[in-house]
Order: sequence, then structure tokens, then C-alpha cells
Amino acid sequence: MDHGLIAIGAGIAISFAAGGAAIGIGTAAGKALEATARQPEMMGRLNAMLMTAIIFMEATAIYALVISLLLIFAF
Amino acid sequence: MSYIGEFFRAFGENLIEEVKFSDMGEEISHAILPKSIASFDLAGFNVVLSDATIATWGVMILITILAIVLGYRPQRIPSSKRQQIAEIFVNTLMKLAQSTNMTYEQSEKIVPYVGTIAVFISLTNLVVLFKISPPAKNIAFPIALALFTLVYVIVMSIRFVGLKGFLKSLIYPQAALLPFKILDYLIKPVSLSLRLFGNIFGAYILMEFIYLVIPIVLPGVVGLWFDIADGILQGVIFTYLSITYIGEVIEGAHMYDHDRKLKEANAH
Repeated sequence: MDHGLIAIGAGIAISFAAGGAAIGIGTAAGKALEATARQPEMMGRLNAMLMTAIIFMEATAIYALVISLLLIFAF
Repeated sequence: MSYIGEFFRAFGENLIEEVKFSDMGEEISHAILPKSIASFDLAGFNVVLSDATIATWGVMILITILAIVLGYRPQRIPSSKRQQIAEIFVNTLMKLAQSTNMTYEQSEKIVPYVGTIAVFISLTNLVVLFKISPPAKNIAFPIALALFTLVYVIVMSIRFVGLKGFLKSLIYPQAALLPFKILDYLIKPVSLSLRLFGNIFGAYILMEFIYLVIPIVLPGVVGLWFDIADGILQGVIFTYLSITYIGEVIEGAHMYDHDRKLKEANAH
């Protein structure tokens, strides 16, 4: 198989996933900051929920990372 | 001043030469393969001792020693530092469990497995500081941990809320969601194992790359995050998620009963 095409495919896979995860985490963190500013006494609970959300959003980027690494090293 | 300038000029030239002439992909591919240190025949099976096996067993011995030292002769009112360290660790985990809808007794039962997993994953990831490749780099290690955790989650949640409660949690918001809830249980181990594997594998390759290209100063700075912080964080996340999964089942079972009661009260 053509190695150049594989490299381009791996690049596209990780770049879109990273962009999406970044947008998601940014939105979530921004909303959490707004909520904390409005109700500072809820900070502990909000932080826990934010962390759970960020873990799941980050996971999508990690899947793309695994797939692009597989593309590079397995083919 | 001119010495420093000379040094950086020579360093830059060497760097360019290194990048130009070494086959980087080949070296990284070589680095990610599991290294077998010894192999022997045991009852017809060829047993391979890889570096991951040795690192895992080393960490297990370390945890055993740590547990014996920290838990030696506990007192009702802790007077020694080591007992206080152990109690702080257990208390933190129990508070985390209680924040996800568990009672004090339930959180007490959760701590032994979940705490061990947290320490085990964190320490096996920290092994990379001694230039031993981390076991989580091999996909078999995360998959084994994730499958154990899935079984543990199901068994413990059945123990806490009963088989009926577990089934109730499957149809909690809507009965139509049942297939997705079942699918969720199939995806949980995949997500747990791939998260650990992807993070550690990615960090390992990045660090190998940095060691290859700029071997001074930069690996130390970048390694603070990729080797130390990320490794410990992955252990914490794994634990946090397995606690959350059990908490979700307990919440689902309770909320189902709660909704039923509300509906009956409204009907009358």
C-alpha cells in the first residue's frame, strides 16, 4: 500500500477528532465557569461533573489517536 | 558568549544530521514492540517473560510491601504517620464513592479493589521513569484490567441493590432504552481499556520521539506531564470511572422505585 496515503489518512483522522474534542471540552469548561460564577457554592459538585464530562470527551480523541497509530504502525 | 554560540551551532548541525540520516520510523517501531527477556517451556506451553511481565510483578511486590508497612498493627486512634497516610488514602476514596450515591457501608466494601487498581495502574505507569516500557503499552494489560473491572462492577452492583435492582436500573428512564443499556455494558470495557492504552501508548511514542530528536532538557520538561502526571491521572480516572459505574446502577435502581411511588401517588 502507498505509505504517503496512509500518513495523510492518519493525519486527517487525528486532526478532526482533536478539533471536535477541543470544541467539546472548551464549551463544557466555559459553561462550568459560568455556572461557578453564578453559584460559587456549587463548585465541588460542578467540578466532579465537569471532570466526568471531560473524560468522556477526551476519550473520542484517544480513540482517533489509537486508530491513527494503528494506521501508521500496523499497515 | 562565543562558546555558547558555538555549542548551539554544533548542536543544531548534529540535530539536522540526526533527523536527516536516521530512520526514525524504524527506531520507533522497534521501541514499541514488546521485548521478551526470557522464555521457557512449562508443561508444553512456551511461556514468554516479557518486560511488561517483569514490571507488573515488580509493582505487585512493591504494593504488597507498601500494604504490609502501612497497615502494620493499626490502632484505634492513629498515632503513627504511616497509618495516617493509609487512612487519608482510604478516606479520599470513600468520600469519592459516597459522592456517587453510595452509603458509608457500601463505599467501605468498594475501597479494597478500587484502591488497589488505582495504585497498581499509577505505579505501573510510573515505571517508565526507570526506562522500562510501561505494561499498559501492551494492549493485553488494559483489556485484562477492564474485563475484571466490568465483572466487578456487575457483581458489586448486584450485591448492593439485588438482581431485581440491577434489572430495574437497566430500564430506569425508559424501557425502550434497554438495548442501549445492554450495549453500554459491552462498550464499557472497550472504552476503559482503550483510554488507558491510547494515553500511555501515545505518551510513550511521543517521549521516544523527543528522546530521539532533542535528547537534552526537553524530555525532562515534557516528561513531567507525559510520564508522571498523565500516568498517575490515568490510574485515578480508571478508578473514578469504575466507582461511577457502580454509582450509576445504584442511582438507577433507587430512582426507578422513586418514580413508581410518585406515579402511584399521582394516580390516587
